[in-house]
Amino acid sequence: MPNLIIDDLPIEVPAGTKVIEAAEQLGIIIPRFCYHKALGSVGACRMCAVKFLQGPFKGVQMSCLIDAQDGMVVSTTDEEAVAFRKFIIELLMLNHPHDCPVCDEGGQCLLQDMTVAGGHSLRRYLGRKRTYRDQNLGVFIAHEMNRCIHCYRCSRFYQEFAGYRDLGPTQIANRVYFGRFEDGQLESPFSGNLVDLCPTGVYTDKPARFQGRRWDFERLPSLCIHCSLGCNTIANARYRAVVRVEARFNDAVNGFFICDRGRFGFPYTNQPERPRQARIDGNESSLEDAVAGAGRKLADIAHRAGPNAIACLGSRRSSLETQGLLNHLCQLMQWAEPDYFLDPLLKKKVKSAISQLDSRVAVSLRQVETADFILAVGVDPLGEAPMLALAMRQAQRKEATVAVIDPRPVPLPFSFEHLAVPTWEMNGCLKLLMEEAMRKEDEKSAARDRMAAEEGWLRNNPASAEIRRQIAQLAALFQASRNPVLICGTDIVPEATPAVVGAWARSLLEEKGKCGLFYVLPDANAFGAGLLGAANDHAFLETVGAIERGEVRALIAVESDPFERFPDRSRLEQALAKLELLLVLDYVPSPMVQQAHIFLPTSTLFETGSTFINQEGRIQIAQPVYHGGTPLSQMNGGGHPPRVYAGGLPGGEPKPAWQLLIDLAGALSLAIETGAVENPLSLVASAHPLLAGLKNTSSLLDGVRCLPDVADAEPVPADMDPAVGPGTENELQLLFVDSIFGAEELSQYADVIRQVEGEPCLYMHTQDAERLGLVEGDRVLLTLDAGAIEARVCPSQSMAPGTLVLPRRRKLEWQKAKSFSTRVTPDRIEKLK
Amino acid sequence: MTNWEPVLLANVNRPNSEKIDTYLRYGGYEALRKALKMTPDQVTAEVKTSEIRGRGGAGFPAGVKWGFMPKDAPVKYLAINTDEGEPGTFKDRLIVERDPHSILEGVIIASYAIGAHRAFVYIRGEFFLGVKRWIKAISDAYQKGFLGKNILGSGFDLDVSVHRGAGAYICGEETAMLESLEGKRGVPRTKPPFPAQKGFWGKPTLVQNCETLANIPHIILRGGKWYSSIGTEKSKGMKIFCISGHVNSPGNFELPLGTPLKEIIYEHAGGVRKGRDIKAIIPGGSSTPFLTAEKINTPMGFETLQAAGSALGTGAIIVMDETTDMVEVVRRITRFYVHESCGYCFPCRIGGQRMLSSLERLAGGKGSKQDIEDLEYVAKGIYGRTFCPMGTGMAEPVLSGLRLFRPEFEMKTAKN
Repeated sequence: MPNLIIDDLPIEVPAGTKVIEAAEQLGIIIPRFCYHKALGSVGACRMCAVKFLQGPFKGVQMSCLIDAQDGMVVSTTDEEAVAFRKFIIELLMLNHPHDCPVCDEGGQCLLQDMTVAGGHSLRRYLGRKRTYRDQNLGVFIAHEMNRCIHCYRCSRFYQEFAGYRDLGPTQIANRVYFGRFEDGQLESPFSGNLVDLCPTGVYTDKPARFQGRRWDFERLPSLCIHCSLGCNTIANARYRAVVRVEARFNDAVNGFFICDRGRFGFPYTNQPERPRQARIDGNESSLEDAVAGAGRKLADIAHRAGPNAIACLGSRRSSLETQGLLNHLCQLMQWAEPDYFLDPLLKKKVKSAISQLDSRVAVSLRQVETADFILAVGVDPLGEAPMLALAMRQAQRKEATVAVIDPRPVPLPFSFEHLAVPTWEMNGCLKLLMEEAMRKEDEKSAARDRMAAEEGWLRNNPASAEIRRQIAQLAALFQASRNPVLICGTDIVPEATPAVVGAWARSLLEEKGKCGLFYVLPDANAFGAGLLGAANDHAFLETVGAIERGEVRALIAVESDPFERFPDRSRLEQALAKLELLLVLDYVPSPMVQQAHIFLPTSTLFETGSTFINQEGRIQIAQPVYHGGTPLSQMNGGGHPPRVYAGGLPGGEPKPAWQLLIDLAGALSLAIETGAVENPLSLVASAHPLLAGLKNTSSLLDGVRCLPDVADAEPVPADMDPAVGPGTENELQLLFVDSIFGAEELSQYADVIRQVEGEPCLYMHTQDAERLGLVEGDRVLLTLDAGAIEARVCPSQSMAPGTLVLPRRRKLEWQKAKSFSTRVTPDRIEKLK
Repeated sequence: MTNWEPVLLANVNRPNSEKIDTYLRYGGYEALRKALKMTPDQVTAEVKTSEIRGRGGAGFPAGVKWGFMPKDAPVKYLAINTDEGEPGTFKDRLIVERDPHSILEGVIIASYAIGAHRAFVYIRGEFFLGVKRWIKAISDAYQKGFLGKNILGSGFDLDVSVHRGAGAYICGEETAMLESLEGKRGVPRTKPPFPAQKGFWGKPTLVQNCETLANIPHIILRGGKWYSSIGTEKSKGMKIFCISGHVNSPGNFELPLGTPLKEIIYEHAGGVRKGRDIKAIIPGGSSTPFLTAEKINTPMGFETLQAAGSALGTGAIIVMDETTDMVEVVRRITRFYVHESCGYCFPCRIGGQRMLSSLERLAGGKGSKQDIEDLEYVAKGIYGRTFCPMGTGMAEPVLSGLRLFRPEFEMKTAKN
């Protein structure tokens, strides 16, 4: 551990620490442009010059390039170093357009800060400035190359860190240009990070352009709820609208970055269509009347048909507070436990996944980056949890092997081994690989016995020779690995997979002393829903049956839109029409809201402090960023706000859903504990033992994991995959899947997201396409049991034969199937002229 | 005038000198046969004995560099730098076009010594003929069994291929060359690690200039001791000097290191045009500082030129007579460096722009005292503070121009 002295302060740092980092630990921030902790040092900007007074280096040197060593004495304030930094700053301003007054970066600009700090004010250069033509980089990022200081952060992030090639430096010398080969939407779904990374205003947030200076914004820590990873963000609001979302550093979750879905998917909170007014039978009413009306109707139905006639549908995008209150209300009223899942199979898988996690095996997103072998089963990282793809790439860059067992054409921004097997072969494929990898281990080890006992239910896998070759190769690498991480999806995998993967993770933990386990769950608070709805295997699919049979007469849907994921839209519509009461609480204009008899508007996470549990079991909190209300831009035709005093906040009726549930309990003459009104989390704390410590929210800002020391894991089901099998020879399995843009519920309300989502495709293996006489770009009509879907065909080599993949895009109106998993015969696919 | 029997340029004026048959007729590949009978360590030792220093500009002792190559690394590479781009330098081009086999023989011997089985020729894209000659030489060598598997029955394998650069000056810098060879932008890498530790694709790589390699067969054949008997105390062996500028017969002259500048100019290059006096000499390519006529007796060696305030560089001598406008010379040189900056680190990229702006005003007679001060301030700021040595190379001509010819700069501002 080298000891050194920086500005008279001694410090000891681990070997390999750069001097600039050592100084940072002392609280000395050495000026920098090109250096970034995530991107490393490259020594391009020469801003971090300091003077080395003693030790192996002497004189003015770059602190980002030199490792801290024993005996170093460093001065950051030495006259010579300061003069040199000043020299660099003057050079940087040579070509800079000085357009700070019209630049969005103004006020949060590193170049601005350094120029002021360096004391440069008098221009001495008399020549011409070099100028560039800007490009249209699509809907997310505005481009203004004249401001560029050429720190290469953008290309280092875009190409090296994230692995996309369409943006980079061209030309040399003073003509270096950062851009694409031609105008066009950036291909990387992480492009928004360029805005955070750029030390000046070359890349700015396009949707937020000219909306305000940083000091104008109400800025507070928030969370991304567009997938289950729970990336940390900072939300910026102004004039009653969220304007912009930035990444917030969290060393255990997302690091420095977030994906574009999380960054640009927030406008659902601002949209003009957002329902802000309570409604009874389509007529606007006051919130009090609507709550009271709902209470009366519910009491009436319960009185006539008993408490079982009332069902509740919760949401996996709701906060823990709302989920907890809904559960509590159901218990008090003796209603059935709320459904958080439409598909009972998905519920089983999520519950099973959660039960496998404990503090020994669960790893954070950032820990995935340190793995030396990653095996992902049934997960499409870019579609289901985009930042996971970035974390996996970091591991791969450090020479980790990445293998993905998945039937879909999984696009990842790095090279990996893809075992494209159909869903019903996934468990077998996994088993083959793991057994191969553990073959030389002690035959009598407990892990081995356990897996041998499972032999009976694992089908003898007829995997093709290619897959077997891949498996043999991977197994050798797996065996040599010291820090493997198993990643498992919950969407398309067979029921047993989460438990199988969990069991393997524990076996590997015994064998290697280290093994990570990482699940991807459906939606931001699926973990909470899984914990709170754990009592039975009941799901909304069964509730729909009960509604059709007339057993359930009232449905309370809390921030939940079953139309998003329910496979048979017309059946759902008909069932809902039979209800005596459909009470909907929500903040988006979903089809449920249109059909509601009584509607209560709720507030978004930006308006109310909310707690979420990410897929790792990390409880995190988003703070209320602004007070809500209709955005000023939507009033008076976007003109100046009226100079009259209003009685309240215009459009400020929405309340947190948990608050409305307390009000509803009041209307039902029930008393909720007084503590709950102040702190709804206190109710949640008593709902599940893992949440027992959840008393105050102050500790949650950086996240707290709620995991047991040793998991009471659900066993691998005895009956492996009753529902799925190879079917008849010609049949194709149709998978409805997620995709990065256009399939996630909340982000679809954003204009910019809809603009980039592209045309939805029906993916099929090239072999299957040939068999069906289809080529890329053909339009087909796919007839399912409940209707037909029109889509463009996209043949792919890198997916499992016998599988059709259809993203759940809203554009597609795909909800024409009778069940969640479905098979089609070739005659159901008709080529359109 | 001392007449030296040429060593490196012995073949270049023979008819069909680039052909393998010609090369073989005059004793070609004999050194290879000899080297393959020695152990790799003996070959390296011989090169160390010769005390030959790299001919690409930096003058690092070649034997020492070979010794840095790790013995136990399973994969090692040799990269041959034919990216000759320094203004005033045209020696590599001559050897590559007229006698490529002399380099190739050196390549094979060097690869054998360091244990590399793959060698890459990186050649400047503008050398159209050179590229053709390299490719032809390599394919002929394969046919004759000097390349490929089991070379001359020794059990040693070597493959060589040619990679064309796109004409960037910076790619002559060894790490930038490796980046370019890997298909990336030609920008220098952080050192350490040096290429001998982590070079091409992260594997130990020896990067050597082609003139250096052309010396190797002669060192092996005649012995390191013979080689080190030529030259001065710290500069051994023969060197090709490229003479251009205001001399009567410019060209390449192969002479021992340590030959006085005066002798090269007046005896070999035929003296200054129209019998004029010399105003300034650039002794080692455009990035080395100017010398004035007083220093004309300086022997052309690494240490002697350093003592005189300049550097041997690539041995490219540019002679300027008394009629030369030094401000214009500095402007022209600076313009080259500003154009060729790789655009990576800030001082070189933008500092150059600022210097050029001042120089253009001065050369155009519109400059002021402020421009001279700026020029000095910026050049001093760049000097020694850039990522790679090119920034220093850019500052050198400006700083030495101002040091030696300041009155000329001031004359230009007289009107303003």
